[in-house]
Amino acid sequence: MDLDDRQRGLGPPARELTWDQRRAERAAAVAFTVAILAGVGLFVVYFSGGQTQLEGVLFCLALGGLGVGVALWANRLLGAHEAVEERHELTSGAAGREAFEHALAEEVGPTLARRSLLVKLLAGAGGALGLALLLPVLSLGPAPGRTLKQTPWRRGSRLVDENGTQITLNSVPEDGFITVFPEGHAGSADAQALLIHVPKGELRLPADRLAAVPQGTHVAYSKICTHAGCPVGLYRADTRSLLCPCHQSQFDVLDGAKPFFGPAARPLPQLPLGVDDQGVLVALGDFYEPVGPAFWDRGKP
Amino acid sequence: MSMVIERSLKYLDERLGTASFARRALRKVFPDHWTFLLGEIALFCLVVLVFTGTFMTFFYNPSIREVVYDGPYQPLQGQHVSAAYDSVLRLSFEVRAGLLMRQVHHWAALVFVAAIVIHLCRIFFTGAFRRPREVNWLVGMALLFLALGEGFTGYSLPDDLLSGIGLRIFYSVALAIPVVGTWVTYLLFGGEFPAGDIISRLFVFHVMLLPALLIGLVVVHLFVLVLQKHTQYPGRGRTERNVVGKRFWPEQTFKSVSLLLLTTAMLALLGGLAQINPVWQYGQFRPFDVTSPAQPDWYIGFLDGALRLGPPWDLTLFGYTISEVFWPAILFPGVAFGILTLWPWIERRFTRDRAEHHLLDRPRDAPARTATGAAGLMVFFIMFLEGGNDIFGVLLNVSVEVVTRTLQWALLVAPVVTWLVTFWVCRALKRSRVHPARINAGVRLRRTADGGYETASLEPTSTPE
Repeated sequence: MDLDDRQRGLGPPARELTWDQRRAERAAAVAFTVAILAGVGLFVVYFSGGQTQLEGVLFCLALGGLGVGVALWANRLLGAHEAVEERHELTSGAAGREAFEHALAEEVGPTLARRSLLVKLLAGAGGALGLALLLPVLSLGPAPGRTLKQTPWRRGSRLVDENGTQITLNSVPEDGFITVFPEGHAGSADAQALLIHVPKGELRLPADRLAAVPQGTHVAYSKICTHAGCPVGLYRADTRSLLCPCHQSQFDVLDGAKPFFGPAARPLPQLPLGVDDQGVLVALGDFYEPVGPAFWDRGKP
Repeated sequence: MSMVIERSLKYLDERLGTASFARRALRKVFPDHWTFLLGEIALFCLVVLVFTGTFMTFFYNPSIREVVYDGPYQPLQGQHVSAAYDSVLRLSFEVRAGLLMRQVHHWAALVFVAAIVIHLCRIFFTGAFRRPREVNWLVGMALLFLALGEGFTGYSLPDDLLSGIGLRIFYSVALAIPVVGTWVTYLLFGGEFPAGDIISRLFVFHVMLLPALLIGLVVVHLFVLVLQKHTQYPGRGRTERNVVGKRFWPEQTFKSVSLLLLTTAMLALLGGLAQINPVWQYGQFRPFDVTSPAQPDWYIGFLDGALRLGPPWDLTLFGYTISEVFWPAILFPGVAFGILTLWPWIERRFTRDRAEHHLLDRPRDAPARTATGAAGLMVFFIMFLEGGNDIFGVLLNVSVEVVTRTLQWALLVAPVVTWLVTFWVCRALKRSRVHPARINAGVRLRRTADGGYETASLEPTSTPE
């Protein structure tokens, strides 16, 4: 099976090339020439300011020319020489394993057994050090504490838009909506809420929650989807529903933003609102429930 | 010249004993079948990723410090963006060949994971994971997870709106881990979303921790491969005791070099002509903005689809909450990838086959394995489709609700049907004794003197059907 290098097309040819081989040789030569030209082309394109599409095509031609040439060489000029290799035994065999076990029992074991107290202390020291080395992991982040259960909204926080402009009852037309933040926290990730102006008398909320909806028309819900935390950015005025574009959870605005389709399980928490003496909308407190996706101790105080 | 080579070989051999090893390496035999090149494509993608990625680190700035964009891309001029986003725009628009490098990198990442997955399918459906290759199966699974991690962390680095939403979802999934979710999430992200450290942490994961593990395990993967030698398909002259194929030098070397060049050439063409992840169109990530439709890179598609398919069931136990996100995004992938990882041992429980195997199965040879694999792929495929439910809704002109409901039913029915059909097809093929790899010699028709026809077999040994 072992063939002479010359017959494999590596050394000088032992016999005349066949017509097929000569054709393959020519084709490989063309491919390599294309690669050379494309390589030069890359220089030109780069120094004349660069152009992404041309760079890609020329880079492809340079590499592809080389690749095609080598492939032709491999498939047409080297010929198909099948080789056979015998497998070797993977295992060291019973004798080899026994010898190792013997070495363990004779050499490793006794060395440690002679100093059993030291070995125990060594293990203890290693363990203590290992635990101590784990501690810096705790520096990676703060304790969660209550941070997931509260937002910057406070009683009296004025509603502003993302630019910090205060929001009044007239800021949003009927069936319009706007993203609002507590004043001083414009752009806040966990405080973001949607203020929606719905027609009067349509909201179906418990009396105490309806009381936190100015004029019964300006209702605000957390903008963070209770499913996986995306901003619930789409409002469909025809069905008065909110749709999360990430996973298509849908919430009924008139019915306390309860989910009615999709993977979300909990309503968007409502933000209690009032109007201050200057006509600016204000929060009456934080959201009624923790905002955003569920977490382990969400239901604990 | 040859003197120099001879002397340096002697120098190395006298110090490292390289000659006999190199001699054996040159003569190593590789099975000659195209499916053995799938893993090589993954390896070559990794090479491209390392080169293009290193180039990009010289320009990328992993910081969320706010800057005002004043580069050449007009729609964003004067906008407040993060330094990370700004540096990606500069790499794309102002660094010569920068956009090409970025796009080749992204395409290479997509092909990398695809090649790994197809390579994994080949290993699975031919039973190449059986003894003694269970160890390398585990290494391969670890490589898959690392590749997915690399993909996700890299995807999030530009700090654009689309990837920021992906990060937000990842954060929410991490929060849903029972008991320790909030702690794990806070330690990983450095606090409540969007904590300021996350981009720089992702960067360290993406360019240091994960690549170090990935490259280290690739070395282990290849080392075990060489140690155990390749599997091979059954055929004439091929036994459990040998490997039949092409030697490392010259045939396999030429073939692999050309494959490296052609893989890179294709990635260059894609990177040059096929726009990918145009972050300047998505805009800077802001936690209260969102885009629609929003799809992740293909290999995360199944997980996004699982989140869309998932039932709206949250659970309260003794006052503690298990999120509805837990079932599709933690439990499902945990079980699915757990089964896949442990498959060599699971299969052994059924087959009780503890023998060494170096000859591969054809998929039909193990109907139950093939059927289980096909059903598993169907589960992932349905979830992948659901990941684009909004796009299919528009394409098919039906509501997104219809797409989701249909795929929810499909998820219950299709895998079972797939299992049964695959099992039946495998058994039928096995009985038919049709061999896809063996060329059908055919028959020669001979016209007889009285005008009729009779068959004259080409191979006297073949049995007439």
